[in-house]
Amino acid sequence: MNAPTGLDLASIPERIQSEVQRAIMRSIKGVEDFSTSGPTLGSTPKDVLHSRGTMSLYHYRPMSDEIYRVPVLIVMATTNRGYILDLVPGQSFIEFLLKRGYDVYMLDWSAPRPEEKSLGMEDYVLDFIPDCVRRVQQDSGEQDVSVIGYCFGGVLSLLYGSIFGDGPMKNLICFTTPIDFREMKLFSNFSDRRYFDVDRLVDSVGNVPPEMILSSFEMLRPASRTVSQIQLWENIWNDEFVKSYRMFDRWATDTLPLAGEYFRAITKDLMWDNKLFNDTMSVGGRAVKLENIKVPILHAVAEHDHIVPYDAAKHLITKIGSEDKEEVMLKGGHVSLVAGANAIKRLWPKLDTWLGKRST
Amino acid sequence: MTDKITDPVALWQKMIGEMEKGFNSFATKAMETPEFSQAMNRAGGVAAGAQRQFGDLMEKYLLSMNLPSREQMTGIAERLQSIEGQLGEIKSMLSQMSAASSGSQIGAAPRPPRTKRPPPDSGEPK
Repeated sequence: MNAPTGLDLASIPERIQSEVQRAIMRSIKGVEDFSTSGPTLGSTPKDVLHSRGTMSLYHYRPMSDEIYRVPVLIVMATTNRGYILDLVPGQSFIEFLLKRGYDVYMLDWSAPRPEEKSLGMEDYVLDFIPDCVRRVQQDSGEQDVSVIGYCFGGVLSLLYGSIFGDGPMKNLICFTTPIDFREMKLFSNFSDRRYFDVDRLVDSVGNVPPEMILSSFEMLRPASRTVSQIQLWENIWNDEFVKSYRMFDRWATDTLPLAGEYFRAITKDLMWDNKLFNDTMSVGGRAVKLENIKVPILHAVAEHDHIVPYDAAKHLITKIGSEDKEEVMLKGGHVSLVAGANAIKRLWPKLDTWLGKRST
Repeated sequence: MTDKITDPVALWQKMIGEMEKGFNSFATKAMETPEFSQAMNRAGGVAAGAQRQFGDLMEKYLLSMNLPSREQMTGIAERLQSIEGQLGEIKSMLSQMSAASSGSQIGAAPRPPRTKRPPPDSGEPK
C-alpha cells in the first residue's frame, strides 16, 4: 500500500536488502572481472584465404548441409575490426548467416603499416575489393557475388559497384552508409577546410593515428563514455551486462589507423567537396555515378544513429540506378543495428528474408 | 512493487540518463560552431608539427648512434611484405594444384552443395 507521499513503505526493507546484495556482488564481481580476460571474440571457424598488408580475406567454414549458390562478401569499415560482426556464438552475424545457409567471406582490415601510408582510395576500390571478389569467385566456383558493406565499407562497396557496374556483383547490401557528407555535421565541422590542414597532418604523421579516429568518434557523444562506466558499475553484479559491455567496449576502442593518402582523399573528396553525393567523384580516373548500380540493393539504416545520421544516408536509395531497391529503418544505433540483441531480432531476419530469395 | 517515481535507484538512473542527453546535446551545439573547429584544429596542428619535429630529431639521433634510419627500416619492411605476398601466392597455388589433382582442398572439409532454396513463404524478388 502506498503512503500519501506515493512511497511504497512496505517495499523499503526488501529494496534495501536487494541493494546491499548488489553492492556485495559488485565488489566480488568487480574483482573477478578485472582479473580475467574478456570473452573470446571473432571465434567462428574460418580460413585466411588471402592476406596482403592491411587487407585480409577470410572464408568462414559452412555450418549447414546445403548453401545458397551465390557467395556473400562482407566489406568491413576501414576504421574498425570485423569481429563486431562475429562477437560470440549466439551473437554473431557471421554465425547467423552460416546457419541460414550462406557461404560467407569477409574483407577485413588490420592497421596499415607505416610504408602503406601511400595507399589511396584507388587501392581500396580498384585493387583490394576487385582482388577479393576475384578470389571469392575462384574459391567458390561461382561468378556472382553478393556484397555487404558496413558503414564506410558500404561507401567502398558503392564506389566499387558504380565503377564495375557490369558485374560480378549480384546483390548489394549497405548498413548505415553515408553518401551526403555535409549532413555528418560534426565530422564536417571538425574537418572544416578553413581550419583543418589535412595536407599538413598527413605529411607530418603518415598514417592517421587510431587515437585521433577514436577521439573524433567519442566527441560525437562526449558524455557517453563516462555514463557507460557509471552504468557498468551499477550493473557489475550482472554477468550478461558485463559480458556485453566488455565486448562492445573492446571493439569500440580497437580503432584502426587510416592510411594517409586514403584519409586525405576522404577529407578532400567526401568531407569537403561531397563528390559522391554531387556525382563528381572519380577514383583512379574512373567516374563514379551511383546511377550505374543496377543490382538489387537493400540499405539498412538505424533510427538513432549518431555517427551516420539519417540525413547523411537517406538519398542513397533514390540515387541508385536499380529497380529492385529498398531502404529499411530499424530501431537502434550505429552499432546496435548490426550487432547485439536488437540486431538478432530485427536486422538479421530482415536481411535473411531479402537476400535468400536473391541468392539462388 | 516499488513505484518508479519514488524509487531512488530508478530516479538516479533517470537523472544520469537525462544528464547524459543534456550534456551531449549542449556539447554538440558547441562543437558545431566554427570557433570550435578553429580551436580544435589549431591545437591539432601544433601537436602534428611537434610530432614531425620530434621525428626529425630522432632520425638525426639514430644516425649519430649508427642505428638504422626509419627509411632503411621501411625498406626492409617493404621487402618483407613482398616476401610475405609471394609466400601467400605460392600457398594459394599449391592449394589450387592440390585441389586440381585430388578434387578437394588441402585440409578442407568437402563443401556443401550450392542447392539451397529460400523458404517457400519468403516470396519472389521484384
